[in-house]
Amino acid sequence: MPEKHDSKAAAKAKSSPKEEEVRIGAYTCYCGGNISDVVYCEKVAEALAKLPNVVVSRTDMSMCSDAGQAKIEEDIREHGVNRVVVGACAPSLHEQTFRGTVQRAGLNPFFYHHVGLREQDSWVHHDRVAATKKAIRLMSAGIAKARLLEPLEHIRLSAEKHALVIGGGIAGLRAARDISRRGLKVTLIERSPFLGGHMAQLESIFPTEEDARTVLHGLIEEVAADPNITLYTSSELTGVRGYVGDYQVQITQQSRGVDEDVAEEAMAACTLEVPDDYNYGLTQRKVIYKAYPGCYPPTPAVDWKNIPDGKLELKMNGKKIKLENKPKTIDVKVGAIVIATGFTPYEPRKGEYGYGELPEVVTMPQFIRLLAMAPKGEELVINEKPVRNIGFIHCVGSRQIDDVHEPQPDGEVNNYCSRVCCTATLHLANDLRHRFPDLNIFDVYEDIRTYGRGHEDYYIEASENRVVFLRFHGEEPPEVVASPDDDVSPVQIKLKDYLTWGEEVEVPADLIVLAVGIMPNPVDDLINLLKVSPGTDRFLLEVHPKLRPVETAVPGIVLAGTAQGPMTIQESCAAASAAAAKVSVLLSQGLVELEPYVARVDLDLCKGSGECVEVCAYEDAITLESMTIGGKEVKRAVVSPANCAGCGACVSACPNRAIDLQGWTLGQYQSMIEAIVAEIPAVEIES
Amino acid sequence: MGQESNAGEPKVLILATLSGGYAGADSVGQAHAEYATNTYILPVVCPAMFPEEFYIESFERGIDAILVMFSGTDCPYKGGAERTAQIINKVYPMMKERGIDTRRLRLVAICTVCTKPFLKEVTQVNELLDEIGHVAAEIAAGPSVQAPAS
Repeated sequence: MPEKHDSKAAAKAKSSPKEEEVRIGAYTCYCGGNISDVVYCEKVAEALAKLPNVVVSRTDMSMCSDAGQAKIEEDIREHGVNRVVVGACAPSLHEQTFRGTVQRAGLNPFFYHHVGLREQDSWVHHDRVAATKKAIRLMSAGIAKARLLEPLEHIRLSAEKHALVIGGGIAGLRAARDISRRGLKVTLIERSPFLGGHMAQLESIFPTEEDARTVLHGLIEEVAADPNITLYTSSELTGVRGYVGDYQVQITQQSRGVDEDVAEEAMAACTLEVPDDYNYGLTQRKVIYKAYPGCYPPTPAVDWKNIPDGKLELKMNGKKIKLENKPKTIDVKVGAIVIATGFTPYEPRKGEYGYGELPEVVTMPQFIRLLAMAPKGEELVINEKPVRNIGFIHCVGSRQIDDVHEPQPDGEVNNYCSRVCCTATLHLANDLRHRFPDLNIFDVYEDIRTYGRGHEDYYIEASENRVVFLRFHGEEPPEVVASPDDDVSPVQIKLKDYLTWGEEVEVPADLIVLAVGIMPNPVDDLINLLKVSPGTDRFLLEVHPKLRPVETAVPGIVLAGTAQGPMTIQESCAAASAAAAKVSVLLSQGLVELEPYVARVDLDLCKGSGECVEVCAYEDAITLESMTIGGKEVKRAVVSPANCAGCGACVSACPNRAIDLQGWTLGQYQSMIEAIVAEIPAVEIES
Repeated sequence: MGQESNAGEPKVLILATLSGGYAGADSVGQAHAEYATNTYILPVVCPAMFPEEFYIESFERGIDAILVMFSGTDCPYKGGAERTAQIINKVYPMMKERGIDTRRLRLVAICTVCTKPFLKEVTQVNELLDEIGHVAAEIAAGPSVQAPAS
């Protein structure tokens, strides 16, 4: 394969890059034929060799192989190459590989640029000549950028070996436990007075058929007994300063309200009742309460959110006792934050499928509680009424369509699939079939999405066990109406059934269960405090769904569980473990290493005009600070690399072009564009 | 073949965010879906970094169309989408002043798996370039031949 070597000045290659000659090694990878089957790689290498500063231009069957990397290392050591450009597969796959290669050979790892020739050239073009010319231009652009590369250093910050986990549901508990197991301290805060989240409201869980609270309590016991984990219930995050490795967080904790030694007595004496959120408002409970028998912590708490003035009087043993909420604040320094704020079930509008108007219509979370409270026996009895016909309706509050469904207050419909409801519905239908063999079960669905391992079995079982399926189209959702007086059942589901080619069907029902979707818990306060971003579906956003699936764009802040999107318990635990692994890797050395792609101010150009500060969305990332320049007291922009997210908004805002983004400078982009529009070096390309 | 200038081929610059359009373009590649070769994709962290004149200068350098493929409202950077949209909106009148057809610049939301929208944008921009040709002619002629704003 043709190669260009220029050994002159090889000796003066390694350091002091600003003063030394730029000597670029350009490497065009065959990618085992993935690139070379379309791109004439030898012609690319030949053309690149003619560009200024290119002292080595090679091809290789596989640049990422040990042999391929060894060639680069040899060229750096033996031929004085001090900038490296590789054209190969996508940068997401091997950019880090080649950064390591150049670093091993003694170069700054950021003297490297990666060009994607496979996904963005050879795999999308069939015209070999045109694809080859494109490869030359793309590589030329990479080389143009390489001429302007500067040595960069990872940002290294000391890190607290301590993480904050927000949310005491299954994801938060799991994340806390996993982080602790790696030797880090954890502070876990939970907004409600009790741990467990929505999982505590479930009975058996798919696909293992275990008892939900048994599984949950095992985890709670581990967390509660863990000396590395500090728990604060009735607590919320109310302040954050700092940056990855050193977040100073303020937690505000509401009073539990009653002393542990008299709490049970106070609960017994309490007469004020409110809707019980554990049973989704179907029953009443006292304002001094335990979430459910066996909950943790076991001490009753006062439900201050239902006592607006924060004061409660009760009589105990003939004495009048005044209870008062006295919130306290707790300051903690942590290196990273896990957001595990969970979900809330979709609450149908009044009248949506009869909800809130017809007493026979309930949501699935409500039905699970009703079923748990129902008397034992061979007949299903709900609210003292026998149920002979039950209908489930899927996709309530999920997969909504503009102009068919009412939007949420933000004007958006929930157009996403909530993922868990299909299997949850079928799991429940099968459970009902086993317990109440004579019950007629109707399942009204749009699509059945039993996507997880073992989930399809629930569908097969339901199909084989007299669960009657009916299918509607999203644009024609079913209607729920009261039955005529003489009908056998109090309500009906009316739909056009597409399993019978559009037949109009009326399903009689004594109870209708709406398989409601999942919505994120409202966390606007956290979004503002932590500067994380929600998506259009209101769930919190990761940086990249595949490459950085649990990280937010804010360094050191990661996502766990359904705060990020609809997930099963199994998936929530997996996501929580991934978040814990990220936190552990980040903090375990007591030192945080960040990519150096942050804003940089040129003090010679900065006039202290402050537009950068105004446009920056990240607290303390860029500030105007007083300093003495040329004997004058002036204000100049100063970047805090640890707080800077590297979005570059300040770059465009600066009227003096005094700010740039390290590693992605405007000058580098301009040079790349010049290379794209420039004439390419003369080479004969076959056709 | 001598010096290869490709002067006849209009050039489309695609500024694609790492969290959106760039990964979307990689998805197109993984799907082996074919599109025109006159497209040059540069990765960007967030297009909020580019000032208005960056776009004008790119046209003046000879880029015939620019597609800014960002993550839209899914931008992981706080305020990044809004800031980018503000900048692009300011570029349009600057383009008009110079006689550059404003359809040559498009801000589009492309996600990591948006293969069809990516292909549609590339097809549409090339259809436009077939119709209006090189930017250099517009710049040389000045504002009198500007096309109506899109």
